[in-house]
Amino acid sequence: MARRFLSIAAVLAGLVAVPGVAGANPVATGNVEARLVAETASVPPGESFLVALRQKIRPGWHTYWRNPGDSGEPTQIEWQLPEGFSAGAIEWPVPERIPYGPLLNYGYENEVWLLARIDAPAGLPAGEPVSLTARAFWLVCADICIPEEATLSLTLPAGPASTDARWAEGFRRAKEALPVESPWPAAYSADGESLMLRLAGPGLDTSRIESAAYIPSSDGIIGNAAPQRLSLSPEGLTLALTPGYRKPDGAPLTGLVVLEERLEDGVVRRGLSIEATPSAVPIEAAPAGMPLWQAALLALAGGLLLNLMPCVFPVLSMKAMALLKTAQGREAGVSRAAGWSEARIGALAYTAGVLASFAALAGVLLAIRAGGAAVGWGFQLQSPAVVLLLAYLLFAVGLNLSGVFDVGGRLSGIGGGLVRGGPGGGGAAGSFFTGVLAAVVATPCTAPFMAAAAGFALTQSAPVAMALFVALGLGMALPFLLLGVAPRALALLPRPGPWMETLKQALAFPMYASAAWLVWVLGRQAGADAVLLAGIGMVAIAFAAWLYEKSRGAATRGRIAGAATAAAVALLVLGTAAIPAAATGPARSASADTEALAGEPFSAARLAELRAAGTPVFVNMTADWCITCLVNERVALRSDAVADAFASGGVTYLKGDWTRRDAEITRVLERFGRAGVPLYVFYPPAGEPVVLPQILTEGTVLSALSAAIPAADASPSRNANMETRR
Amino acid sequence: MSIATMTRAGAVGALAMLCSFAVPASVPALAAPTVGEPAPEFTAIDSQGQSRSLTDFRGKTVVLEWTNHDCPYVRKHYETGNMQALQKDATADGVVWLSVISSPPGEQGHVEAAEADRLTGSRNAAPTAVLLDPDSKVARAYAARVTPHMFVIDGQGTLRFMGGIDDKPTSRHSSVEGARNYVRLALADLAAGRDVQEATTRPYGCAVKYAE
Repeated sequence: MARRFLSIAAVLAGLVAVPGVAGANPVATGNVEARLVAETASVPPGESFLVALRQKIRPGWHTYWRNPGDSGEPTQIEWQLPEGFSAGAIEWPVPERIPYGPLLNYGYENEVWLLARIDAPAGLPAGEPVSLTARAFWLVCADICIPEEATLSLTLPAGPASTDARWAEGFRRAKEALPVESPWPAAYSADGESLMLRLAGPGLDTSRIESAAYIPSSDGIIGNAAPQRLSLSPEGLTLALTPGYRKPDGAPLTGLVVLEERLEDGVVRRGLSIEATPSAVPIEAAPAGMPLWQAALLALAGGLLLNLMPCVFPVLSMKAMALLKTAQGREAGVSRAAGWSEARIGALAYTAGVLASFAALAGVLLAIRAGGAAVGWGFQLQSPAVVLLLAYLLFAVGLNLSGVFDVGGRLSGIGGGLVRGGPGGGGAAGSFFTGVLAAVVATPCTAPFMAAAAGFALTQSAPVAMALFVALGLGMALPFLLLGVAPRALALLPRPGPWMETLKQALAFPMYASAAWLVWVLGRQAGADAVLLAGIGMVAIAFAAWLYEKSRGAATRGRIAGAATAAAVALLVLGTAAIPAAATGPARSASADTEALAGEPFSAARLAELRAAGTPVFVNMTADWCITCLVNERVALRSDAVADAFASGGVTYLKGDWTRRDAEITRVLERFGRAGVPLYVFYPPAGEPVVLPQILTEGTVLSALSAAIPAADASPSRNANMETRR
Repeated sequence: MSIATMTRAGAVGALAMLCSFAVPASVPALAAPTVGEPAPEFTAIDSQGQSRSLTDFRGKTVVLEWTNHDCPYVRKHYETGNMQALQKDATADGVVWLSVISSPPGEQGHVEAAEADRLTGSRNAAPTAVLLDPDSKVARAYAARVTPHMFVIDGQGTLRFMGGIDDKPTSRHSSVEGARNYVRLALADLAAGRDVQEATTRPYGCAVKYAE
């Protein structure tokens, strides 16, 4: 009853607001307070300027986007403008998805600024009043709907553009809320049952996406209220949609993809406007709604595949050969039962070693992430020192396989070498450390291949993530576990013989290749000097290995071996310790391919130098994994107008890459009260630095520049966006 | 190329399948019926207390009109006489016209039988019957989104048209004149034994108030 009364009251209020000819401003209709506001305090002759229909909407009620969704009607504006003026279409901010029972609408709650650009004719006499009248119509709904309208008038004097400070903040927010063209191409594929939409970003790091939703620009293409299943893959981002009553029939799918990204300083919401073309091949989502057991099964399969990786396979082959030899020996001497029992213990210990290593790595990873850092699997390869050590290890294993040196004189080689004695002789401990070794040498290979899978695991809760990593390890250990618990399988292996030595030597080459790849990675991270250091280190290792082998059996063997080992270790440490120094050299820059402005890498020293010289500086702190950063760069920093303004203003562009959490950049972030990227700071020639918002528009950048450097006034119409509050 | 890029490039095949997650479905979404397929069956009590089923009308063309007398879009069509004229023309041609009220008690548009009849009388409306659907069962079967949402079913029980009543998706009364009335066109197509030319149109209006 109360609701009925309310609705009647609201209707009456709406009727009262029905206008005469001349409009008021603002107009309150009972459910909406509408006001016409202009970005400029005057009408600039011969230029365009922005006006907004600002709706303050009654709490719990909403007005509608251009596609209202399952019900409703978009707000409409009819302009009554003086001779020679023209108004553009409404520029719609990104709407909310507003569910209502089994239905869903696209619209706005609380407050919305609907922008429109007005073109003013040239030759207006300065000071002449210009009256802009908007007859606005909207539907405002909660559970009931009320059509309302208002005629709003705004009179401004003609004159050069000058910002109206009252509305500057509102216009800035309104522009931030506008969708931007998607930097990533979109494609879709449709069959009767499903409609798949993909945002193709091969380099897109999707680990921080909180939510993604497609908002169609026309009705009937999708079931508005149907859940949209998001899946993230190396190809990009895929949304599984439910087709509506209308088939796309090869026409482009238009609308918005609204992404919410979790950054250190809060969640950033951005609408990307897309025009998805039909995909040549059907777009597949990853298997969705995967229960834990299924994910674990896939992780298990992935782990199994790891055994075939170039850096793992050789180690495992040797382990297999050792097992073979042990089993053969047992057959000859001891009872078969005893041999099997020992094989079983060995297999279990090996499995435990692999699992412990994976659990430890996953534990470290989860702990770092719990600390708020956006690291993924492969984080262990982000440290040049770790990369270098792994390269050394793989190289050493390769040398061992090549026969340059032989630890413990057993075929089981390095596995036993880690703890004196192989899987046969060393018992459980030996097998355990072979497992650890296998997991460690697997790291460089698992990182690339498991990044995506691990990315999935990391979107889960910590216990689930841990379970998945353990499943991965279990998969890797599975072949030996099976050999251990089902010794009959041993009979399937080929008989030992001289071929084993040949195979062993051949298997050295995948290890060398893996080491070479790691050195290349190191080069990317830390520059050419680091590569030289790695080379020197490897020569030292080879020398030490040769010396060690030469000294075997000699009387002074222990002494020489000790000296050789010491020498190698010293060189290793030296090489590794030198890396951080080398790493300050030219490293890769984040998303270099999106670069339009000629920038320099950020350094505090360079910034201080430029500041001292009175050069204006624009600093951009970014990271590869930050989608918001990439969108900002593409929509704002990449534009010609911004490039022109930088050039004409003599602005130096410094770009800081925080992908690897550079400490110097962290200090800058902290100075500006930020926990993470993006951070945009403009340092004018004199005066305080200006921090720009985390959502960047071309207008924000231009106005920050033009406020400090008059020379940056490159484009008059764009400078209508200027903000005086700077 | 960064390591991150390389790692992603390397993540292929079965391993990549791991990298997905799903948002579990919560609210059961409505599934719209399909034009050209059998129309969903229903049984509902009308304002006279009589039980009505779609199968009762085999051999006749049936129009379903979702309605809520307080909805501004419904009011546009009734206050201009547009809906009544359509009802009279259709029923005169032997078409069965069923107005469906799906609002549950407490929601706008909900009426008891007597009130439904009073509304028919006071508005001079001419439906064959007014179906009371306070548990929104019929609405769910047809995925009715708005009032007015229109459906046309032929004598074989096949859905031949669904969508908005015309091409003027607004509540302004002035929009009725000159509007392209899709229901009138669909009925004419059916009467002439043709395929319905515009068989699916965008529904517009107030949201149907669904029972929990």
